[in-house]
Amino acid sequence: MSPRFPGLRRFLRIDRGVASVERAVDDELRFHFDMTTRELMTNGMTPDEARKEATRRFGDVQGTRERLASIDRARVGRERRAEWWSAFAQDMRYAVRGLRLKPGFALAVIITLGLGVGANAAMFGIVDRLLFRPPAYLIAPDRAALIYKGLTFRGTENLTSYTGYRPYLDLRENTTSFDAMTPFYVNQPAVGTGDATKEMHVAAAGPDLWRMFDVKPVIGRFYTADEDVPPDGKPVVVISYAFWQTNYGGRPDAVGSRIDIGSGKFTIIGVAPEGFNGFSVDPVVGFMPVSAQMSADAFSRDAKNPWYSTYNMTWLQVYARRKPGVSIDAATADLTRAVQVSYKKSVEINPKKTPIDKVRPRAFAGPVLADRGPNESNDAKVATWLVGVAAMVLLIACANVANLLLARALRRRREIAVRIALGVSRGRLLMQLLTESLLLALIGGVTGLAIAQFGGGALRNTLLGKDVLATSAFTDPRLIGFALGLAIVAGLLTGLVPALQTGRSDVSSALKAGAREGQVHRTRLRSGLLVAQATLSVVLLVGAGLFLRSLVNVQNVRMGYDADRLLWVQLNMRGLKTDSVADTQLRQRLLERAQKLPGVQNAARALTVPFWSTWEINLFTPGIDSVNKLGDFTLQAASPEFFSTMGTRIIRGRGFTAADGEHAPRVMVVGESMAKKIWPNQDAIGKCMRVNADTVPCSTIVGIAEDVRRGSMSETEMHYYLPLAQFRPAIGGLFVRTNSHAADHVEEIRRGLQQLMPGSSYVTVSAMSSIIAPVIRSWRVGAIMFAVFGLLALVLAAVGLYSVIAYNVTQRTHEMGVRVALGAQAGDVTRLVVREGLRVVVPGVALGTVIALFAGKWVAPLLFDVSPKDPPVMVTVILTLLAVAVAASWLPARRASRVDPSEALRAD
Amino acid sequence: MPAIDLDLLQGTLDLLILKTLTWGPRHGYAVASWIRETTDQRLLIEEGALYTALHRMEKRGLLESEWGLSENNRKAKYYQLTAAGRRQLRTRTAVWTEYAAAVFKVLQTA
Repeated sequence: MSPRFPGLRRFLRIDRGVASVERAVDDELRFHFDMTTRELMTNGMTPDEARKEATRRFGDVQGTRERLASIDRARVGRERRAEWWSAFAQDMRYAVRGLRLKPGFALAVIITLGLGVGANAAMFGIVDRLLFRPPAYLIAPDRAALIYKGLTFRGTENLTSYTGYRPYLDLRENTTSFDAMTPFYVNQPAVGTGDATKEMHVAAAGPDLWRMFDVKPVIGRFYTADEDVPPDGKPVVVISYAFWQTNYGGRPDAVGSRIDIGSGKFTIIGVAPEGFNGFSVDPVVGFMPVSAQMSADAFSRDAKNPWYSTYNMTWLQVYARRKPGVSIDAATADLTRAVQVSYKKSVEINPKKTPIDKVRPRAFAGPVLADRGPNESNDAKVATWLVGVAAMVLLIACANVANLLLARALRRRREIAVRIALGVSRGRLLMQLLTESLLLALIGGVTGLAIAQFGGGALRNTLLGKDVLATSAFTDPRLIGFALGLAIVAGLLTGLVPALQTGRSDVSSALKAGAREGQVHRTRLRSGLLVAQATLSVVLLVGAGLFLRSLVNVQNVRMGYDADRLLWVQLNMRGLKTDSVADTQLRQRLLERAQKLPGVQNAARALTVPFWSTWEINLFTPGIDSVNKLGDFTLQAASPEFFSTMGTRIIRGRGFTAADGEHAPRVMVVGESMAKKIWPNQDAIGKCMRVNADTVPCSTIVGIAEDVRRGSMSETEMHYYLPLAQFRPAIGGLFVRTNSHAADHVEEIRRGLQQLMPGSSYVTVSAMSSIIAPVIRSWRVGAIMFAVFGLLALVLAAVGLYSVIAYNVTQRTHEMGVRVALGAQAGDVTRLVVREGLRVVVPGVALGTVIALFAGKWVAPLLFDVSPKDPPVMVTVILTLLAVAVAASWLPARRASRVDPSEALRAD
Repeated sequence: MPAIDLDLLQGTLDLLILKTLTWGPRHGYAVASWIRETTDQRLLIEEGALYTALHRMEKRGLLESEWGLSENNRKAKYYQLTAAGRRQLRTRTAVWTEYAAAVFKVLQTA
């Protein structure tokens, strides 16, 4: 390292470092040699001899020189580190002392930052789970994929990751890009026997599951390929660690014991490692072979079309891992070929299917986290939005903290000037101020983690309707890193500005000036921060208003049935073998019992449940070539009490009666929009519709019902109704109409009906409102979150505005005194101050409104029946902000107007 | 009681330097001359090793240094004992004396 650029070196101030160590060593040695040669020369040697003798005495000069330099470098480094630490410790002590002197200030900053960081950490926890963190134990997450299939119908491509077992086998047999591939799906069967029976999440997967994850059984073993051979497989299950702990107390004899899952009896063969959850987002209690699961599921037994060879069932997702070196594009091409082969095979079996050149099947390897794929859930969309909102709250919090720190820095100007005058370097001073804000930020970060820990569960429940795989905020390294990182960035951001401002201050003028005089221009920065806060508040509050209106709209929308008063009763036979006569009789008994239960107004049998299930079959009507080409028509089959139970209005004609029995003439009720679609400008009543085949007798249309929403809140469905007796009398469940809020009657009615259930079969009862809740959750969450965050922002902005105006007023006491002395009225002074407050807020409000209008097009898809430019929302928010601004300036303004001129003028 | 340092030369040189500096700060040249003169030139010490020892002891906190002016008005690096250096000198002296006495005793036996 030769000092070739001494100027540069001096400029960079690095001469204290390496170069100086070497120079010092050289200086020391030169002195030594000079002295030695001089002494030797005094003793009579010639200069040459003396130099030689000196060198001899010294030994290896060059080697020693290097050794000395390296020793010194180590020493200097250590000294400097020690110095830094002691300065840091001093800064820390100073910061702690300073904060303890101003606990109110410290608390305000910590809580503000804590809320900002906490909101972000909680959101991060959710979004990380949904969008970023690969499933635990997954090997090579970058090569793992969820496989999607795209089929084009009526011109639009329908992308789905759901498929059946036969198509899965086709993919497996016809691709070469993958080294592991498994079906995976989660059911909610009843687990256990007797009173302990509970519906829990159980996963089914192929044996490749265990190769895609880096897992070993805690005890026992995992299942193998020969235990997953259709049709029946082996009834074995690997239980989750958590289930093992809670239900078996972690005892090793759990392995080998038997457990009732669904309608099958399974042998526990192993325990999966802690936290292993396969590809599921919901915590699962066990993993079983697909064939074992399907064999135990009575519903899937269909002798003509067994589940493993039919192309007509879709219930599973396929996960696969690309071989190393196979690109995503190559895998996609490979998959598309396989999916085309598969489609051709399905057409061979069912030649009536849409031809392949119309459907254009394709497939691709999508992200393993479903919410990152093309069919992301609404939850993920809302969560992503809320991350933005939380970030804005943090920004506002930062602005506020910066404002508080600035105010504090201004109050400390004299103290700081004194310290500079006493010779404290500006660098040290800067470090000191930064240490203070970093300390605050770290405490704020920990507070934020605590908020995320205790508020995160509530947030996850509100947002996702369940506490998905909750991790503790205090033990999740990703979350801790995120929160503390955020806090530190926030601390640096907020601390740097005031610190630099202080560092720049002019010592002599600060010392000369009175305590309250300050350079007015410095408040410009604070005003800027306030403008930003007002802007963000407007944006958030507009969001809150839009989501609130969406929520109100969604709750007031006419569903076509009275969701609040309805319960759905579902039968689960657990494999009980009964004939259809017994099934029909059981349901009839349940219906009669339900109608007699206290609190029940009416009850009816039905086949499908809005938002849970749909049923479509082929329809034929004279005069129309293909009814099914007109759209999707979904069917409900129901008993005569259905329409009055649901509260679905019959617009014209009649509903069903007891007379529409199995052998009576076939009848049908159609929804309004379906009637209009099939028979435009004609009366549908009396028309003939053939159900399932064009050879069966006519079902005469006897009534037209109002439209219902049963798949989406935003549109009604084309729906029709058949008498259950004429369709499938032996299946389906019950709708029960209660005479008050249905959710309050769930348990009562379950108990009342359960008594009729034979053997280990059971009923589950769900309130219709809880079935709809997940559907409207995104609006509810949006409304709650935006409202909470928006109000938080508003309060922060109001406090910020108040403190700045109050500060300015104290600064201008003198001026106010002069004004009052010259005859200004109290009202004039008040107006002056309030106008100052508005001058900060109005640009912020204007900017915020523009941003809100501009951002509208991105929120629009998340809203319900509200324009993102909804004028009432905009006007309300603008007026609110202005009112808050006036209120926040009003208090200091009143103080200013009460200034006693004689006192104000005497003060200096 | 610390174990006796068997690295005789290294330990001895450190001890000599500590002793030399008990009379106040000296620069490296002075330390070297003083040792040479005091031992009547009977201990042959390579001066390179001496400086290495000085720097190492400074790093270990036994000595501290300061730049000052020499007798002939030249800039020179002066070393002086730190509190740790004095402590070290006391224990080392005790250890060394005992060590030397023991060795001497062995050599005295007939």
